[in-house]
Amino acid sequence: MIHVRNLTKQYNELSSGGFLALKGISFDALPGQIYGLLGPNGAGKTTALRILSTVLKPTSGTAIVNGFEVTAEPDHVRRQIGFVSTNTAIYDRMTAWEMVQFYGALYQMDPENLQIRMEALFTKFQMNDIRNMLCSKMSTGMKQKVSIARAIIHDPPVLVFDEATSGLDILVAREVLDTIEHLADHGKCVIFSTHIMSEVSRLCDRIAIMNHGKILAEGTISELSENHDESDLEELFYQLISESEKEVLSA
Amino acid sequence: MTWSNVKLIFKRETRDQLRDRRTLFTIAIMPLVLYPLMGMAMLQVAQFTREHPTQIWLVGTENLPDSPALLVDGDLDPVWNQGERSELLQICAPNDRDENFHKLVQQFHENRTMPGDPDLINQMIDQEMKSRGVDLAIVFTAGENGETEEAQNSGPSAIVLLNSASDRSRIAADRCSQILSRWRTASIKQALESHGVPISVAEGVSIKRADVSAKSKRTAATWSKILPFIVIVWSLTGAFYPAIDLCAGEKERGTFETLLSSPAGRSDIAIGKLLTVMSFSMVTSLLNLLSMAFTGLFVASQMGGGVGMAGLGLPPASSMLWLVLALIPISALFSAIALAAAAFARSSKEGQYYLIPLMMISMPLMMVPMLPGVQLDLGTSLIPVSGLMLLLRGLIEGQYAEVLPYAAPVCMVTFTCCYLAIRWVVRQFNSESVLFRASEKFAVGAWLQQVMRDRHDLPSVGNAFLLGVMVLVLGFFVQLAVGSTMPGSWLELAKTILIVLIATIGMPAILMAMFLTRNPRKSLRLRLCSIPAACAAVLMAICFHPLVTWFTGFVLFVYPLQGDATGKAEFVGSLVDQAPGLWAIVLLMAIAPAIIEELAYRGFILSGLESLRNRWQAILITSALFGIAHFAIQQAIITFAIGMILGVIAIETRSLIPCFLYHATHNSITVLLPRVDATTVDGSPVLPWLLFTNDGSIWQYSVLPGIVMTLLGVLLLVWFVKNRVVPDNSVELDTTFLQTALGRK
Repeated sequence: MIHVRNLTKQYNELSSGGFLALKGISFDALPGQIYGLLGPNGAGKTTALRILSTVLKPTSGTAIVNGFEVTAEPDHVRRQIGFVSTNTAIYDRMTAWEMVQFYGALYQMDPENLQIRMEALFTKFQMNDIRNMLCSKMSTGMKQKVSIARAIIHDPPVLVFDEATSGLDILVAREVLDTIEHLADHGKCVIFSTHIMSEVSRLCDRIAIMNHGKILAEGTISELSENHDESDLEELFYQLISESEKEVLSA
Repeated sequence: MTWSNVKLIFKRETRDQLRDRRTLFTIAIMPLVLYPLMGMAMLQVAQFTREHPTQIWLVGTENLPDSPALLVDGDLDPVWNQGERSELLQICAPNDRDENFHKLVQQFHENRTMPGDPDLINQMIDQEMKSRGVDLAIVFTAGENGETEEAQNSGPSAIVLLNSASDRSRIAADRCSQILSRWRTASIKQALESHGVPISVAEGVSIKRADVSAKSKRTAATWSKILPFIVIVWSLTGAFYPAIDLCAGEKERGTFETLLSSPAGRSDIAIGKLLTVMSFSMVTSLLNLLSMAFTGLFVASQMGGGVGMAGLGLPPASSMLWLVLALIPISALFSAIALAAAAFARSSKEGQYYLIPLMMISMPLMMVPMLPGVQLDLGTSLIPVSGLMLLLRGLIEGQYAEVLPYAAPVCMVTFTCCYLAIRWVVRQFNSESVLFRASEKFAVGAWLQQVMRDRHDLPSVGNAFLLGVMVLVLGFFVQLAVGSTMPGSWLELAKTILIVLIATIGMPAILMAMFLTRNPRKSLRLRLCSIPAACAAVLMAICFHPLVTWFTGFVLFVYPLQGDATGKAEFVGSLVDQAPGLWAIVLLMAIAPAIIEELAYRGFILSGLESLRNRWQAILITSALFGIAHFAIQQAIITFAIGMILGVIAIETRSLIPCFLYHATHNSITVLLPRVDATTVDGSPVLPWLLFTNDGSIWQYSVLPGIVMTLLGVLLLVWFVKNRVVPDNSVELDTTFLQTALGRK
């Protein structure tokens, strides 16, 4: 479903010249799988997800989403994905209904099907009470629900969640995680970035631990525990990141 | 581009903006509420200022003739008032200090000055007036009865002393001038009648002005100056806020990223947003226009009494049609520029910083048509915005026959600017570095480090623009310094030209190539070229010279040289005539500029712009910079055209030598042709066929040979394109002297 090979991304930066945000990462995520990208701030998680959602172009390497290459066929890739970003990214001066409808129309959904799909999603996410409320008047939890409804309105095979639970209270965060689990159960390929270990332990089928644009370890949680002789994921994460930091400092 | 997506984005953005209170305030509340309120306030203020009485001090009233009497019982005789309200002019009584004041006025009148301070008498008079609390003083002096003819002719006089720095004093002077004028005319009439001379003798030939224009035409003429300005200035202002909100605002809210990951392409997003900004720009402009017009009419009718706008009717109905038609391209242009500039900004606040300079650049273009005497002709029709405003003015005035011939160039320029601006917007939205610009703090040290670290063999696009701008700025300051002291001899002229060329163009180009690139030779295209290429360049310059001469004639027809420029050119020509020989003229006016300008433009700048990966774009921008550097518009257009030819030669040969040869040959012919005498032409086997003269001084190219030469020039240009030189085959010149001169290896 998602095949990433030797992906690099360089940003032009005044202080350091070219800043290499991704240094040749490779991984695969399959349908029905939740793939977790773990890493501290600045590890390159958001850059990788932005490339997968065609918002950024890679400097080199390839990324194939449901059979379409992100650089060569960005229009096709965009139809295969639903993207939920760190901030809720919804328009303050639109109602919940208008917001989801706008994105459904952008995906050129048939108006009748769109109406049926929206009714179903609004009922499922218990958003009927807020359907005519302006987004600016909603709580963060409500906004994130609208954001997820917007991302899955066209029923995409691939879903990209970039730190989607950050800033949410525990009840809303749990609801978001349940939704992600539910989507994977229905055969969606979910790629999910976070730095909260408990979410990873609960959800992810495979994970990649990243730092400074590199994947330090990749596999299932049990494979990683076995390979690094550490059963506690948080401890394992800390060890790998510490070693990586030392390498960078010595370099 | 998918139009359904464009439509969706347009509808969404429009609804979004209509729900934004700030936008609604700008486009609707301000025009519909603010102007009427401002109008009411203006009426109140005007009433307040008009009601204020002013104090007049009459000095030397004993010198006034008894008849006709200016004063009755110490006050102005109401007979001289015709419409002025007498209570607004309050007369002060004379007293014992008048004698001193008289002396001061006498000194002032005789232009006497106090040693050390030429303004002392003015200050003393002003002080005297202030101490009495008067706004204006009128000093009456008696006539002199001297023996000389001059003294006999001098009669009584009235000196009106006002302080032009004070509004009250100026108002008082205006109020008195009509009264004094009527009194003076009556006294002349009385004097003439007493001698039995009819008043018509003094008046001589009576000159009267009669306005034969129809009222509708007068109305149209007044509106034609106001309406285009209001429409255009508000279309720019109306584009500002929506452009910032739709770009920088969306970045701030984090919604841009999700929109970019949707099926809407970058072009769909850009055009959808552009249409929204354009709509708001047009609506703002129209609402402001209507509100200001109605408020203005109301205020003018209330103020009445000779105010220019009083009695002015509504603008002609056709003017609205022309304004709406013109509003479409002008809104598109301003909206596109505002949107492209706002796309750079990371926040709304930053967006405002970018858009204020846009206003500053646009204002002069809007002000040019307001200048007296500026009319629509081929020259002004080619100026963006100004041409359109002049065309609108003509159309509103109903001068169709006069302005419609220039509609095509105006439309061409306006639509070309629109197209370029829209392309810029789409390009901005396709640029990752623009949309996701990092919020990095700028530090000079870090920037210098980056400049040195990131040097490549060739200059970057930024380096190329930097040199282009640097040449312009240095040129401006050097011209400012040199302009005040014109050279007085050939030697001084030679020094000035060489200093300007080297200091403003040559040295910056060489230094930038040395320090900003790793391969200065390659950057400046210092490579040998083949002998056929060198010969072809010389031949092409000769062949294209008739075409350039004709084009120069056309440019001078469109933009004629003004008196000052003609005078300067003649003066420089007279200095050039003092040259020790033709060799010196060719060296100074042809070879030196050719070497130095080619190093900068086809060398450094074109090398940098070649990284745009579009050779025509690189040539076009280089030529534009080359043209602008020549300041005068006539020269700028001609050098731009020559720059295009030179750009092609530089790109195809990858060497500066053919460019230099072309440039030097062209310059040489241009400076030598006016110095060719008839004997030389007649003695030549070719020149009589090629050249002719009407007045014996200015040589012109014959049409047929000129066309043949131009065609040959085109063939040579094609030859250059077909024989493109691959960079690796070239041999680089030894330029170690440049490095040793600058102490670098």
